[in-house]
Amino acid sequence: MTTNSLPVRRLNGRVSVIDISGEVTAKSEDALAEAFASASSGVQAVILNFGGLEYMNSSGIGLLVTLLIRAQRGKQKLLACGLSDHYRQIFQLTRLDEAIGIFGSEGEAVASV
Amino acid sequence: MTARLTTFWKNLWGGERAVAPTVDEPATSAPVTAILPAVDIAPNDPLLAYLHNVNGPVEIARLQMESPALAEMKATGVVICVPLVSQGELIGLINLGSRRSEQEYSSDDRKLLADLATQAAPAVRVAQLVRQQQIEAAERERVAQELRVAALIQQTLLPQSLPELDGWGIDAYYKPARAVGGDFYDFRSLPDGKLAIVIGDVTDKGVPAALVMATTRTLLRAASERLGSPGAVLERVNDLLHPDIPARMFVTCLYAVLDIQTGHLLYANAGHDLPYRAGPGGVEELRARGMPLGLLPGMGYEEKEITLSPGDTLLLYSDGLVEAHDPQRQMYGFPKLRDELADFPGGDLVDYLLTTLHNFVGPHWEQEDDVTLVTIRYDGPAHNGALTQLADFTLPSAPGNEREAMAQIAEAVASLGLSPDRLEKLKTAVAEATMNGMEHGNRYREDLPVRLQAESDGQQLWVRITDHGGGTDIPDPATPDIDLKLAGLQSPRGWGLFLIKSMVDEMNVIDDGQHHTLELVINLAEKKDTD
Repeated sequence: MTTNSLPVRRLNGRVSVIDISGEVTAKSEDALAEAFASASSGVQAVILNFGGLEYMNSSGIGLLVTLLIRAQRGKQKLLACGLSDHYRQIFQLTRLDEAIGIFGSEGEAVASV
Repeated sequence: MTARLTTFWKNLWGGERAVAPTVDEPATSAPVTAILPAVDIAPNDPLLAYLHNVNGPVEIARLQMESPALAEMKATGVVICVPLVSQGELIGLINLGSRRSEQEYSSDDRKLLADLATQAAPAVRVAQLVRQQQIEAAERERVAQELRVAALIQQTLLPQSLPELDGWGIDAYYKPARAVGGDFYDFRSLPDGKLAIVIGDVTDKGVPAALVMATTRTLLRAASERLGSPGAVLERVNDLLHPDIPARMFVTCLYAVLDIQTGHLLYANAGHDLPYRAGPGGVEELRARGMPLGLLPGMGYEEKEITLSPGDTLLLYSDGLVEAHDPQRQMYGFPKLRDELADFPGGDLVDYLLTTLHNFVGPHWEQEDDVTLVTIRYDGPAHNGALTQLADFTLPSAPGNEREAMAQIAEAVASLGLSPDRLEKLKTAVAEATMNGMEHGNRYREDLPVRLQAESDGQQLWVRITDHGGGTDIPDPATPDIDLKLAGLQSPRGWGLFLIKSMVDEMNVIDDGQHHTLELVINLAEKKDTD
């Protein structure tokens, strides 16, 4: 369940994808930071694919804010896809959706870059 | 017909005056001194065929044939017999003994007798027919009376009253196509407080079906007393019924056990029409495999289960509803039943379905088969203000245990019928509150557990999460703002309490000096709006 390391896929020179699985909690901090460092070098956008997400809590949301700050510093876009209705609502409540582009599928996210 | 001739004759003239008096002895003069006994003629007696073909009086002494009736007539002193024939049918005889004067019958006598027979025959025939109709009418009335009694007895085999249970609305309708029927239904309170529900349908209708119905009902009652599970009950009844049931007859039957506290329903089906669950979540057929009762011995019955949610109605029914035809011979059918259930606005489902049936078959419908409906509506845990404890447990303060809290609370409130959306929100709120309790209240000390309680009065759900951090002032955290956080003016964290408040209808804080409790409130009445 613990996200020891998260796979990063580089789709082309401009976009890379982090495949999130299991939970996004305080325990995911290192794995998520590591994956973002690897995914974000030299691209315009990083997509978080939440298709495999089981559970995200407020600590996890805090981690996403941290990633968002890093992305903005690097003048990169942070995008998300594959969110369930429930977590999509939480993104809206927290207004994370205003800073992170939300897409239904990975293809739509890639096409937006 | 012929065997009955003498009987009619007797009845027509009454009692012992079984035979017409001799013609030269008018009844008004001296009393009759000799009455010839009635003679029964067997249907295969050759005398019968002979008399059928003669015209007018016959002298008995001249007849020679192997006939028991003829021998009897000779022995009793019959001299002349005159067949009464109406429309080619021999309907009786006038037997006469010898004349008083001991003289032979003259040709005038014979002519008189022939005329008498010609005129008497139609009158006797009419009298016979009237008599026959009276007997048949009496017989019909006797059968009808027996059926009325049978119908009364059968009524006593059906529940005399419906179970009245807090939070449940139970209704039933039963109308046999004839005086008695093969449908039945039954309710039975089980020792563990659950409710057994049965509906069945015997092949055929009328009296044969009613007799098998009575047996099956008794076997089901006896089996349900000893065996708890629906599959075991049907298996037992099938094995008992099989050796005794008439060939080509069988019984379809659905047996269910309802937990009235939680809405959990366990059921098995012996080839009966599939029940439906209809409610805010849509219409669902409840399938479970099994052969009808009485067909083959040693059958097993699959058991299935569902949990009814508040607002759900369970429908059990017999095929008299779905196999009803409209004037154009179209059948009501399952697709229509399903559609009607999908459109069911709530309320009285029996009334609703009967209205759809009457609209379908029209005013001149002759009911084709027994119609039985049983509906079980779940209004939700008793709305009588009584609190129902749904959960009360503790968890050690260890990272990750909030997920266990989520899972246990979700299971505990399953019977309340929260929509998936509201359930997910409750789970998130419970997880966040448990994390807060473990982290801020108990400092992740494993010897300090977090306690979770859930209770409901049917209108509201309260979930309380209690830690040991009472008595300390917890400053109200700043409302998280994404812009401030991105600008570095606020910590990226600090979303917990904000999320909890957003996920539930109301959040209260209770502090007794030792314990700190977060109370989450969900209004169940709003459930339907969000579904």
